[in-house]
Amino acid sequence: MTNMILALFLGVFFGFSLNKAGLTRYNKIVNVFRFTDMAVLKFMLTALVVSMSGLYVLRGLGLITFPNVPGTYIAGNLIGGMIFGVGMALTGY
Amino acid sequence: MNWLKEQFQKELWSPYAAGVLLGIVGVLAVWLSDSLLGASGAFENLAGILGKAVAPGLFDNMYFNFIMPPEITWGVVLLIGVFFGGLLGALSSKTFKLRVNGDEQWQRIFGPQTWKRWGIAFAGAIILEYGAGIAGGCTSGLAISGGMLLAPAAYLFIAGMFASGIVTALLVYGRRY
Repeated sequence: MTNMILALFLGVFFGFSLNKAGLTRYNKIVNVFRFTDMAVLKFMLTALVVSMSGLYVLRGLGLITFPNVPGTYIAGNLIGGMIFGVGMALTGY
Repeated sequence: MNWLKEQFQKELWSPYAAGVLLGIVGVLAVWLSDSLLGASGAFENLAGILGKAVAPGLFDNMYFNFIMPPEITWGVVLLIGVFFGGLLGALSSKTFKLRVNGDEQWQRIFGPQTWKRWGIAFAGAIILEYGAGIAGGCTSGLAISGGMLLAPAAYLFIAGMFASGIVTALLVYGRRY
């Protein structure tokens, strides 16, 4: 139960950050593919750098263990990503 | 205090600032809940619940029984939170409005008809969710959550996503690219 309340709470911050970065808009998403607005990349890569630094420090301190890392299937990941990109550029999700 | 209020009401933050916030949320999700952020999986859980109610035979397979169980999972609750977080963001900057059509840029490219926005968004979302199902996640569940654990899958996914996204945008925008 506590876990579910946490999920709701984290989700609110997740959605809030997406909204404030403007990623809830069609034009922000599609313009990264046109190289006219790099907000999506800046947002994604900042989140990546912050969270990977945080996680590796916490693991180094012995405070957390990593959850299951998504499996690598070269064809699946790559082809799935390519199908995903078509939908993303069309919908602006 | 005033500064905080000002930031809260601002329509758009620097993407770097918003990215830091998401990064912290990503760390907290692993630390406190031992879970990874994601969005597309939750839709599959919900589809499983719906499918089992409507066509139990069709949904009685490995995928919907074990890989994406038809339950209210952590991810589904997270997604409900995302909805309210997005709502809060829009309300805080007073930019909230109900809209049935795309924005200005959308209408310039695809035309002003509402059914086109709905049709293309629906078709695009199916393609997107299908791709996410094959790859094992979406932008948040695989690219960000996997990327922060330095999973190779995440970087393959990002490469594929940008390659086809750029080509799709090129085709859609044509000379206006």
